[in-house]
Amino acid sequence: MTGRLAKAAVLTAAVLSALPAEAAPGVPVRVRVIRGSRQGPPALDPQLQDLQAQLGHTAYLRWEQVGEHRADMDFNKPLDVPLPSGDRLQILILESRKETVTFEVRVPAQKTQSKLTISKDKRIVHQVTPEKDGSAYFVTIRPWP
Amino acid sequence: MELEDLALVTRARAGDGEAFRALVVRYQRKVYAVALGIVKDPDLAWDVAQDAFVRVYTHLGEFKGESAFSTWVFRIATHLGIDAVRRERTRSKQDVDEADELAIAEGGEGILATALGTNPQETALRRELRDKMTEALAQIPEKHRTILVLREVEGLSYEELAERLGINKGTVMSRLFHARKKMQALLRRYAGIAGEAAGSGTGTGTGEP
Amino acid sequence: MKDCTTYAPMLGAREGELAAGERTGLAGHLEACAACRARLADERALEGLLGEALLRAAARRDFGDFADGVMARVGATQPSGLRALLAFFRQHRVIAAASALAPTLAALALIVYFQTRGTTSGPLAGDFEVTSEEHSPMVLDTSDGPLILLGDSDEPEGT
Repeated sequence: MTGRLAKAAVLTAAVLSALPAEAAPGVPVRVRVIRGSRQGPPALDPQLQDLQAQLGHTAYLRWEQVGEHRADMDFNKPLDVPLPSGDRLQILILESRKETVTFEVRVPAQKTQSKLTISKDKRIVHQVTPEKDGSAYFVTIRPWP
Repeated sequence: MELEDLALVTRARAGDGEAFRALVVRYQRKVYAVALGIVKDPDLAWDVAQDAFVRVYTHLGEFKGESAFSTWVFRIATHLGIDAVRRERTRSKQDVDEADELAIAEGGEGILATALGTNPQETALRRELRDKMTEALAQIPEKHRTILVLREVEGLSYEELAERLGINKGTVMSRLFHARKKMQALLRRYAGIAGEAAGSGTGTGTGEP
Repeated sequence: MKDCTTYAPMLGAREGELAAGERTGLAGHLEACAACRARLADERALEGLLGEALLRAAARRDFGDFADGVMARVGATQPSGLRALLAFFRQHRVIAAASALAPTLAALALIVYFQTRGTTSGPLAGDFEVTSEEHSPMVLDTSDGPLILLGDSDEPEGT
């Protein structure tokens, strides 16, 4: 009896609570480190097919993926992403709402910080190193990949 | 977002085409998603979504800012979508309510929950069901599709649904319940989960107006 | 159970959508009715799935020319790349467009934000705030999401 009532109480609480479903313990995020360059024939790493539209807006013609990270991110806990250049950047989630997620991207080596609110179906493409010898590194960030 | 939309609308009204284009780009996919849920066919959904924005542009002068711009676009897309479905139905002279012929057996409650587990993370089954979702949606009657889509894609409350569809709250709840029941029956079938008895009678007839 | 007819439709309610009497009635019914508890569990398990499915279908589709189609139908004249740039310059103080971006800026359907005093500004600045002490960042708002470019450096780059 006690068990059944307790279960009903939990379900009732679930009905009456404001939060949709269980509060997510973490927001799943997929981060990729990619390099774009002007030199060489135009080529898009097959893994980066989904980024074609966004990358097409830059002047870089060759793209390859050089790293990937997946994590379940909690609020305000930075994800450390090392770059081939030796620098590191941090990605944080500031807020996650029904429709949108707010990311902060810190690139200390470039003294640059971005606060970006995107809707859940979109992704961020962020340059993280200045162009050198015709190429530059970017990161892509996608929530709920 | 709303304040920025308002700024863009103001500029668009003053003739700034790029401001209007920015609004289109901002909402195009979500408007398309709503249209797709209602009309089922992707190409028709594309047309309905474009029509909605065209109509918005034509009536920009009338937008007072009392509701959010996005609400306005979705409202127009909803009506255009429903109209499109009804036109198709008249044209093809088909009874679109295929799901009424579907056997919707009672029983099976809780089976999906058990199969999916209480963990909200992606399981293979959840992914599979999600991929079957639009297919299942296409099989339920238009009025059930529409209310489900507005609830789940646009996120409307009971009150907003009542206002959007011109029905009372009781009917909103009842219609949503029936819509979900039909969807779940179809999903159980897709998932190959026991609980379906083909050819048996339809459900309890909870009499929805 | 006849009560299920009354209460089952309430299972999908969100906070604030049920009147106090409905909430109490539902809670009482759930204590007694295993079928409705199971229905509730099903709804929780499937929550958000439909929205996800439709938005994914929308995400998969190429919206590259959707806005163009709308603008063409409303008869809005498409400014050529150069005219769009000039119109934009009149509205925003632009320091310099990095040469890397010049071909990009002619692209339509993008809103570009330029740096003024180290932070991006523009109509959608609330969503995209990029601050840089070393660069003049630019944000291009594409259909798939923002593209952030570092732009010019204040300091000469090393070779």
